[in-house]
Amino acid sequence: MSGVDPVRPGPLLGTAPNPDAALSVRGLTKRFGSFTAVDGIDFDVPRGQIFGFLGPNGSGKTTTIRMLTGTSGANAGAALVLGEDVLSHPERVKKRFGYMSQKFALFEDLTVEENLRFYAGVYDLSAEEFAKQRAYVLAMADLRGRENELTANLSVGWRQRLALGTATIHQPELLFLDEPTGGVDPVARRHFWDLLYDLASRGVTLFVTTHYMDEASHCNQLAFIYRGGLIAEGRRTTFAAT
Amino acid sequence: MSGHRIRLLMWKEFLQLRRDPLLLRLLFLMPILQLLLFGYVVAADVKNLSTAVVDLDRTSTSRALEASFGASDYFVITQHPGETDLKHLMDTGAISIAIVIPEGTQAALDQGQTAPIGVVVDGSDSQVASVGSGYASQIIARFNADRMASQGISVQAPGVDARVRVMFNPTLASVNTMIPGLVAAIVMISIMAVMGQAVVKERERGTLEQMFVTPIKPVEYLIGKVTPYAIAATVQLLVVALVGIYWFGVPFAGQLSVVAAGLGLFMLTSIGMGLLISLVSHTRQQAQQLMMLLLLPSFVLSGFIFPIDSMPAAIQPLSWFIPLTWAIQILRGAFIKGSGFEALSTQFWVLGLFAVVIFGAAIAATRRRLTE
Repeated sequence: MSGVDPVRPGPLLGTAPNPDAALSVRGLTKRFGSFTAVDGIDFDVPRGQIFGFLGPNGSGKTTTIRMLTGTSGANAGAALVLGEDVLSHPERVKKRFGYMSQKFALFEDLTVEENLRFYAGVYDLSAEEFAKQRAYVLAMADLRGRENELTANLSVGWRQRLALGTATIHQPELLFLDEPTGGVDPVARRHFWDLLYDLASRGVTLFVTTHYMDEASHCNQLAFIYRGGLIAEGRRTTFAAT
Repeated sequence: MSGHRIRLLMWKEFLQLRRDPLLLRLLFLMPILQLLLFGYVVAADVKNLSTAVVDLDRTSTSRALEASFGASDYFVITQHPGETDLKHLMDTGAISIAIVIPEGTQAALDQGQTAPIGVVVDGSDSQVASVGSGYASQIIARFNADRMASQGISVQAPGVDARVRVMFNPTLASVNTMIPGLVAAIVMISIMAVMGQAVVKERERGTLEQMFVTPIKPVEYLIGKVTPYAIAATVQLLVVALVGIYWFGVPFAGQLSVVAAGLGLFMLTSIGMGLLISLVSHTRQQAQQLMMLLLLPSFVLSGFIFPIDSMPAAIQPLSWFIPLTWAIQILRGAFIKGSGFEALSTQFWVLGLFAVVIFGAAIAATRRRLTE
């Protein structure tokens, strides 16, 4: 069985991508050989939203993020990220979004300070910007006084907050989070979502993938992906009613 | 491409290298250990053979003959057994060569007759046997010449006088051919080992994925990754070359530019092979095994340890497809013979072709893989 037809043809089908949205995706498709990982999906994410991208493992969530972050090409379709065509010119927009994956992807053999310094350098932060962001991240991640510890020695909750801090060190307008709370205990998860709300309140658009249905309640817009196709999409209240 | 980001990646790589004490120790212990092994064990010339002298003549001539054996570096006289004990000493390995001077040797010589001297060699080690008996006959010949000269007899005896002259490596010291080969081998081992492991490690940990959503470009990543290890390999090979020249006394007859060009091309080839390994391996163990699979035929077939000329004719063409073969020829040529670019042009063309093809393929494949 290959793919499941959308429950309803989306209202966006065939419309032009919206350059004002944080994310605007039309007919985005990715095939690996004869396997269609992502099958012509359409959605818009207005700026400032917390967009929940839900689906079981292997449904195409990570593949979609790879295409939207410019690390993987698409076989068909269009994708505007912050108004830029990310499929043909990923370098134009890479400085404006951040990305954090489920896997703790900081350098474990570098210290907290060195990780921050590395990513600040990658995003060309000036010395003042770095000093300001460093102070902010250390406070946010509760790591003040532990700057010279190797990140390998931090426990999961702290690592996760530090990962969030480095992913946002360049103050992105949009943040992709790929199953960010996998393997984290409920208290740390709660704390982590508080940090995400804080980012959202400052106008950052969040694109969060998860397979925990309870996390969907944190989002104000949702899309369900199943076997590469979007099967439902809309504001959270719509789903609460059904 | 941004020089700033490349410097940042190199800084990160050096920090990580510094924090990996095992890898760091390996990087510097490995060449030293290899030097000692190859310099003292593999390349050891036949020397200090345990020698027994069976003197049945007991005259001034026989004692003088024994003394000339004792004076050479090749023989150490450890035993003076009776004739019947020889076999036992040989069987137990206590001696590897025995000189038997029969009774009446001096008397025969005084009468102008030929006196036979027995040289008994342990043939179980063919190298000891051939080299040991060769040295023994040289010493006896020289002894003869000296004796005749001292008695005013002309040494210009009729007959063939074969004098073998060994070019380029007159002392036939194996270490002279071993060290240049070792320099190339170390470049290959350390670059391939580290390149293969480093990229796989970053993919396993997810840090690679994280870096490619940032403005870091694949080319910048590759340069930042490769440069620190190329520098480390350069330090390693300098240590090896300097220890080879100043400790083992390997002559350096050549031009530095020839050595540098040869090593540069070979480094690119090794970096390419390391990257290709890391692309096809999903885990570090796989990368490790794959490297062993490539290293073994390289060492055996390249002429590093065994001369290519002594391989079966059907096998010899295989050595052409091994980059190490050409690198070793360039280095040996430059070190020992002082060959320049002209004399080594074939080797340079072939190695250059390997460098372009392997490094180019690795960069292209890595770029594609990293961006997929």
